[in-house]
Amino acid sequence: MKTLVYIETKNNKPFNGCLELIHEAMDLGEGTAVLIGNDCEDSAKEVSRYGIPVLVLDTEAVCQDTVLAALVSAAADTQSELILMSATQTGKDLAPRLAARLDTGCITDVVGIRKDGESLIFTRPAYGGAVLEDMQFAEGKKAVATVRGGSFTKAEAAQAGDITVKSIEIPADAVKAKLIDTAVEITELVNLEGAEVIVAGGRGCGDAQTFGLVEELAKLLGGVVGASRPAIEEGWVSRAHQIGQSGKIVSPKLYIACGISGAMQHVSGMIGSDYIVAINKDEDAPIFDTADISIVGRCEEILPLMIEEIRARKA
Amino acid sequence: MNILVCVKQVPDDFAKVHLGENGKPALEGIDKVVNAFDTYAVEMAVRLCENHGGRVVVATIGAEEEVRPSMVQMIAVGANQAYIFAPNTADGDESSVAAGLAELVKKTEETIGESFDLIMCGKESTDEISSQVGAMLAEKLNLSFVSSVIDVKPAEAGLCVKQETEEGSASYEVSCPAVVTVAKPEYDPRYPNLKSKMAARKAVIPYLSDALTPVQPAVRCMNYQEPAKREAGVKIQEKNAVDAVARAIALMADDKVL
Ligand SMILES: Cc1cc2nc3c(=O)[nH]c(=O)nc-3n(C[C@H](O)[C@H](O)[C@H](O)COP(=O)(O)OP(=O)(O)OC[C@H]3O[C@@H](n4cnc5c(N)ncnc54)[C@H](O)[C@@H]3O)c2cc1C
Repeated sequence: MKTLVYIETKNNKPFNGCLELIHEAMDLGEGTAVLIGNDCEDSAKEVSRYGIPVLVLDTEAVCQDTVLAALVSAAADTQSELILMSATQTGKDLAPRLAARLDTGCITDVVGIRKDGESLIFTRPAYGGAVLEDMQFAEGKKAVATVRGGSFTKAEAAQAGDITVKSIEIPADAVKAKLIDTAVEITELVNLEGAEVIVAGGRGCGDAQTFGLVEELAKLLGGVVGASRPAIEEGWVSRAHQIGQSGKIVSPKLYIACGISGAMQHVSGMIGSDYIVAINKDEDAPIFDTADISIVGRCEEILPLMIEEIRARKA
Repeated sequence: MNILVCVKQVPDDFAKVHLGENGKPALEGIDKVVNAFDTYAVEMAVRLCENHGGRVVVATIGAEEEVRPSMVQMIAVGANQAYIFAPNTADGDESSVAAGLAELVKKTEETIGESFDLIMCGKESTDEISSQVGAMLAEKLNLSFVSSVIDVKPAEAGLCVKQETEEGSASYEVSCPAVVTVAKPEYDPRYPNLKSKMAARKAVIPYLSDALTPVQPAVRCMNYQEPAKREAGVKIQEKNAVDAVARAIALMADDKVL
């Protein structure tokens, strides 16, 4: 099956979640990776090292509307029947728009693809991850899907694929939403998706000081700080740390939830963790239903002792 | 300014969904609520009109009796008018819903005799969480599109909209009409008061039973599964926090997670 993989780039580096799609695309048949923009040279080289043919669409002004127009032309040029993107904010914006232009539908947040005779079955979570859906495109329809990060393994390096560079003119009237300004509020790099240990704090931390203990424990364990939405709304930590439906979907080896009740919107983001420890003062807190170890207690009492005990073990 | 907010009624997303005996999500016992992101969109629209004049129309596709309470609720929190359209497909995917909404926009404009300057949807619905419908609707109407919007202001050439991004925000200028999807802004949606509730209950909400052309879905769900369940773990409930921590750490060490 002819498959097109859209590789997002930033600062001339391909996005990791997109690289994870290459192996799957080649597995399904003829894959092509497409990069769009005017500074894709290094990225294209890096992508080609995974053995996939690379198409670079060289275009001046890069915004979502122009990328969409370029994708439509790439899909036509390569006669692709399946177009895969990573389920990033950009991918989730582009995929349904592309699908509409190709007169088809779209599947969001795919976590698995399998063959069923001639057709493909795409598995995706719904209802906050409580249900998995097996989806199929109607006959004769092109398939467009976004894939959740971490669903497929990255391809191994192979004989480099060919790189074709094509410049394309995008008519000025393709740009309907004019980008006038971007503001970078979050400068810290928070790699929650790749973290082996996450210590997360919620409203039950009560104040910034106790949330500081969450940060201290994370540091001690070489982990990353996570948070529920209320902890962010309280201003204890930036939005980059949010875990859940509107935040990051994570799957660390160890997840420690401190003062988090276990609402569906949070749990859907961390249920894939290998081992879950929860601290909550309420013995009936729903988070305990998903925890391997449930500690009934107060964060401000438990956390300092935990930090002390782990420090002593490390010494 | 004329604003249309497309609203979807969903099962309360604070309830955990399980599969029923027929292998499909058992939603019968779960309360129906307005999709949270749609309530943010309605609040944003109402604020925009309060500050700059205009009216907010809400519309939904659904079975009349089932969705009426949600429409009444949206009127109680500030929408000026509501419409209910009968479904254009029994088993709709996002593309067929977007096609229905595109038609709904035209039909509603015909009904009120004016066109919309801004069409808003929630960024995603909390049941399927696919964040496709707003984007597809924009394409079907051939209008500009910005997702995850947290603020809208009138601007010279139309509207200035602020999008929440992974790193912060981005501002776009769009001409009207435009389609945007709404994320959680800094404020919360208002609650209705007794007076607005009483008034909303009396609102006339037209039901358009055959306004939408039937369409075929492009994507179908063949089968549902529940993900593997996690086994219940150990609960540590000691009088003394020191003992609790000692036990927890010992267990974690045994399981080699430290
Ligand atoms: C559309 C939508 C999207 C959302 N997306 C997200 C998301 O991405 N991520 C997210 O996290 N939430 C999200 N939410 C919010 C979510 O519904 C919950 O409100 C939120 O997860 C609750 O956070 P919490 O557990 O920190 O707070 P609460 O639910 O208030 O729980 C606090 C917990 O702390 C315990 N506690 C209190 N004091 C102490 C103490 N001293 N020591 C120990 N325990 C204590 C309490 O027993 C309670 O269980 C979303 C909501 C909506 C509607």
